[in-house]
Amino acid sequence: MRAYECIYILNPSLDEQAVKDKAVKYSEIITSRQGQVTSVDQWGKRRLAYPIEKIFEGFYTFIRFSGDNEILKELDRVFRFDETVLRHSLVVEERPKPAEAPKSPAEGK
Amino acid sequence: MAIKNDRNEKRNDKRKKKEKRMLPMKPCRFCMDDLPIDYKDQAFLSRFVTERGKITPRRITGTCAWHQRQLSKAIKRARAIALLPFAREYYR
Repeated sequence: MRAYECIYILNPSLDEQAVKDKAVKYSEIITSRQGQVTSVDQWGKRRLAYPIEKIFEGFYTFIRFSGDNEILKELDRVFRFDETVLRHSLVVEERPKPAEAPKSPAEGK
Repeated sequence: MAIKNDRNEKRNDKRKKKEKRMLPMKPCRFCMDDLPIDYKDQAFLSRFVTERGKITPRRITGTCAWHQRQLSKAIKRARAIALLPFAREYYR
């Protein structure tokens, strides 16, 4: 089990309800494989820093979850097949360690 | 720290001979304030990027090597999800 962060960008032509449905759909993929969804964050419609497929805006959704890497494979596959998903990223969550983080740079010198 | 100061002094001496001024060492602000580096924080990361969208070198920002590595990783991740531009030129 590991904690992951997932961000995906949906096509802005979708309506709010469709965006919510997608979030539920992807959360179900996680939970159906013994994963746990920690949080689902809708960032709403945002301007992209550069056009993707000639689209300038997108709905951002941020999901935090934990589970096995089987989930990653499946999510990646699903995102790739879904044409309304402009971009997605799956990243291992970096946990802030207050005791270690400030020390290590100083010791490294 | 003692060794480091020594080194700096030696360096200063050398510089003086060549009559070049040593720039004051900027402290790394991530080390100083224990700032978290988050690839999702667009407003924050954009401070470490030039107008063109390039990553600012650490000789300018004064970031230490350890944090610069994390910063560059965060910026690259942010680029991948269109939070930061690869090149600003695009729409001009």
